[in-house]
Amino acid sequence: MPDEPYEPERAIAGTGMGGQMDLAASEAVTLEKMPRGPDGTERPAGRPRSLWSDAWHDLRRNPVFILSGLVILFLVVISLWPSLIASGNPLQCDLAKAQEGSQAGHPFGFNGQGCDVYTRTVYGARTSVAVGVCATLGVAVLGSVLGGLAGFFGGVWDALLSRVTDVFFAIPVVLGGLVLLSVVTSNSIWPVIGFMVLLGWPQISRIARGSVITAKQNDYVQAARALGASNSRMLLRHIAPNAVAPVIVVATIALGTYIALEATLSYLGVGLKPPSVSWGIDISAASPYIRNAPHALLWPSGALALTVLAFIMLGDAVRDALDPKLR
Amino acid sequence: MAEPILEARRLVKHYPLMRGVLFKKQVGAVKAVDGVDFTLDRGETLGIVGESGCGKSTVARMLVNLERPTSGAILYKGEDVTRLSGRALRAVRRNIQMVFQDPYTSLNPRMTVGDIIGEPFDIHPEVAPKGDRRRRVQELLDVVGLNPEYVNRYPHQFSGGQRQRIGIARGLALRPEIIVADEPVSALDVSVQAQVINLMERLQNEFDLSYVFIAHDLSIVRHISDRVGVMYLGRIVETGRDAEIYDHPTHPYTQALLSAVPVPDPEAREHRERIILHGDVPSPTNIPSGCRFRTRCWKARERCALEVPALAVPEAFRRATGPAAHPSACHFAEEKHVVPSEQPE
Amino acid sequence: MLLEVRDLHVEFRTRDGIARAVNGVTYRVDAGETLAVLGESGSGKSVTAQAVMGILDMPPGRITGGEILFQGRDLLKLKESERREVRGAGMAMIFQDALSSLNPVLTVGDQLGEMFVVHRGMSRKDARAKAVELMDRVRIPGAKERVRQYPHQFSGGMRQRIMIAMAMALEPALIIADEPTTALDVTVQAQVMDLLAELRREYRMGLILITHDLGVVADVADRIAVMYAGKIVESAPVHDIYKAPAHPYTRGLLDSVPRLDQKGQELYAIKGLPPNLLHIPSGCPFHPRCPMAQDVCRTDVPPLYEVDGERGSACHFWRECLDG
Repeated sequence: MPDEPYEPERAIAGTGMGGQMDLAASEAVTLEKMPRGPDGTERPAGRPRSLWSDAWHDLRRNPVFILSGLVILFLVVISLWPSLIASGNPLQCDLAKAQEGSQAGHPFGFNGQGCDVYTRTVYGARTSVAVGVCATLGVAVLGSVLGGLAGFFGGVWDALLSRVTDVFFAIPVVLGGLVLLSVVTSNSIWPVIGFMVLLGWPQISRIARGSVITAKQNDYVQAARALGASNSRMLLRHIAPNAVAPVIVVATIALGTYIALEATLSYLGVGLKPPSVSWGIDISAASPYIRNAPHALLWPSGALALTVLAFIMLGDAVRDALDPKLR
Repeated sequence: MAEPILEARRLVKHYPLMRGVLFKKQVGAVKAVDGVDFTLDRGETLGIVGESGCGKSTVARMLVNLERPTSGAILYKGEDVTRLSGRALRAVRRNIQMVFQDPYTSLNPRMTVGDIIGEPFDIHPEVAPKGDRRRRVQELLDVVGLNPEYVNRYPHQFSGGQRQRIGIARGLALRPEIIVADEPVSALDVSVQAQVINLMERLQNEFDLSYVFIAHDLSIVRHISDRVGVMYLGRIVETGRDAEIYDHPTHPYTQALLSAVPVPDPEAREHRERIILHGDVPSPTNIPSGCRFRTRCWKARERCALEVPALAVPEAFRRATGPAAHPSACHFAEEKHVVPSEQPE
Repeated sequence: MLLEVRDLHVEFRTRDGIARAVNGVTYRVDAGETLAVLGESGSGKSVTAQAVMGILDMPPGRITGGEILFQGRDLLKLKESERREVRGAGMAMIFQDALSSLNPVLTVGDQLGEMFVVHRGMSRKDARAKAVELMDRVRIPGAKERVRQYPHQFSGGMRQRIMIAMAMALEPALIIADEPTTALDVTVQAQVMDLLAELRREYRMGLILITHDLGVVADVADRIAVMYAGKIVESAPVHDIYKAPAHPYTRGLLDSVPRLDQKGQELYAIKGLPPNLLHIPSGCPFHPRCPMAQDVCRTDVPPLYEVDGERGSACHFWRECLDG
């Protein structure tokens, strides 16, 4: 659990063997990181560093981050402006060309309906990214507000929230999707996003609750309270900035899984439905013809797998950067 | 000098022990603080010493209103602050500030030093007009011996001693009259401890502060305090001026405590009497009857189990006027020299 | 001679550069002797001990030079399997935080007995009996019953006794105690130090006591090595050093401690901060904080000058320092 608040000065400690080794490393590197003038006066180093600049410093050197970041950047660009790399129309299909293989101007060939697989794969990214980003934002906001408040105030609300999240954890996601989404007739991405937020927030709320509880025990929160700070001040200024890191990490990884979930639901026919363009729909449509036209299945599946992997890798890299103790 | 600025009267803090998941019921209580009385005069330092779990930190937290007492009163200039709320409470809070033990967790790692020291002004905007704050923060840094140009740095760029100075600057920002310091130097290196203690003494004179100084280190408490209270299991068992406690202790617990402190003088080790206490401190959920120290006391007799000794000048010394005549909660109080009195060269 | 550390160098690789934690430490301990290694955080006192024990985390740590002679063998040249034999049977260590050094899910008896199962090949039952015997030896009341309890059921002082029992189990020739009483209350601290001293006498063990507490040192040590910035700046028999320190850092430390027996005026405070191991000052590492520093201190690294047969001081001006 990345619940502990990140402490920059202990960052160099914390490898292996628990307490004893931490002592060694933290003794080796005195907790100040500042050179001193020749006269012994106290003079901190030039560059002020915060958690984020420290994390950024780490991320920039992490090949996993660079690779996954590039993939994600590419995905975002093509979902905003798909026409940059695909000139065709994903809905313009020619049944005469159904299941044909790769040919000039159509590098990925055609699917069962004779639609260009390349164009559809490019346009499918838009749906996936939109669903992933919106669902994650919704989950993160709802989950961290509910979890954070429960962790901060504790008591009855906290107990209630814990039971409610237990109930939600008991719902199997795919089965829930089949039941809930089958009654929806709208063919927009919003019911799918709504469903994901509904089932996804308990995960974030648990993380947020835990890290708020850890952060609120710190003396600096007590110090603010002793000064007479209001609850909102303590929450926003002292607790939230110190509790947000694990939420970001989990949300990034969740983003990948929401994209996969959208594809799953669309594949099962309860997510998006044609004429929407989505990798899930294409995978579903192509799977009966796997023998004759494997390319129609391969490309959208490959794009989906790559996207999910990129987000999970990004989440891992972000976690390493924000909480080096887990390494 | 003898003008009380802060008084604790029969201060009690019990934490209920609950059992049960749905229907909680109280099965006992942790008696962290169990009837503490003291007065703090303007400009003086009251030291409170005791071992871990004796309730001294809980007392500190009650004094700065982080914890509400179960019963008893805290009088600030004669007014009971435990009954205040809202604006009146905020006004009192301004005047009683705290310095924390751990300089690593008491500063928000996400805030710059300027924001940390300036936060009191955000919360109490009446103290300093907005345009004036940066200058005030820099002044405070200067006062605690840090370079005023550090305002934009983050806490982790400072060493423990420097961080504690930042914590002290934050405590001073609102110009309080009283500072409650809970083990302010115990997390620091020996050579840095002296710097911080000297700083605290200098600030006391400069700003006419009154200190409640809580620590487990008896030598430091003697150095900084005018009067000392020794706590054991939620109560003060002996109190008096520093020389009365250190040179003429009458309570057996104080004597044992003092005799156990290692003195940095190898010559003393041969001819020093050590009182080694046996056993551990009883649990604060189950405090012994009568005198709470009797389970570890070598003088304990039947009376100690039956009668709670009051914190008053013991009968034996009531007629005397010497330094041994100070409040001590023991039925069988007698004077005993335990600190080797070496003449300073 | 039981243990001799010669010119040991240890460094740590960190994000901000190489931290030179130990820079040429030399000390020795004889059987039955207590050597106190005194220093503040960052002085390298614990890192040296961990290098001696062979429990240094590598990486980020690295031993870059020196010898550790234990009963005549250089430990740094041994294979890991041989090293493991030395640990426990030859030397053992006691840590500051007894709670985190004990495994919370095993009973105290199991943890004590394990030493005998692993090193002596005893049966579980015999090992349990040995555990009870050990607990008796470190004066834990009701050992027979308490052997089945878990670490959290013991108080801090009792846990530290269990740690001592564990260290004593195979009757090692050397015990290294790293701030053994720092986490304990004064009254308990006295009990634990007494126990350690008694066991040391009884078994004629060498004891390395690592501490920052000048009081504890004065109470139990035979000799002191004062460390600063990864170096020994002064080493001397305990009585000499308290009477007349031969290094300005030692003098500063002694003067900066408040005394129980005197009220005293303003404390003497060593100016400045403990050194940053990433940027150790040139010449004498203490020169930026030293009231006696001259030009030579900025440029020339002082060797450990011989003050008299048993004393050494790494100060160019040790004579002046001795005279006060």
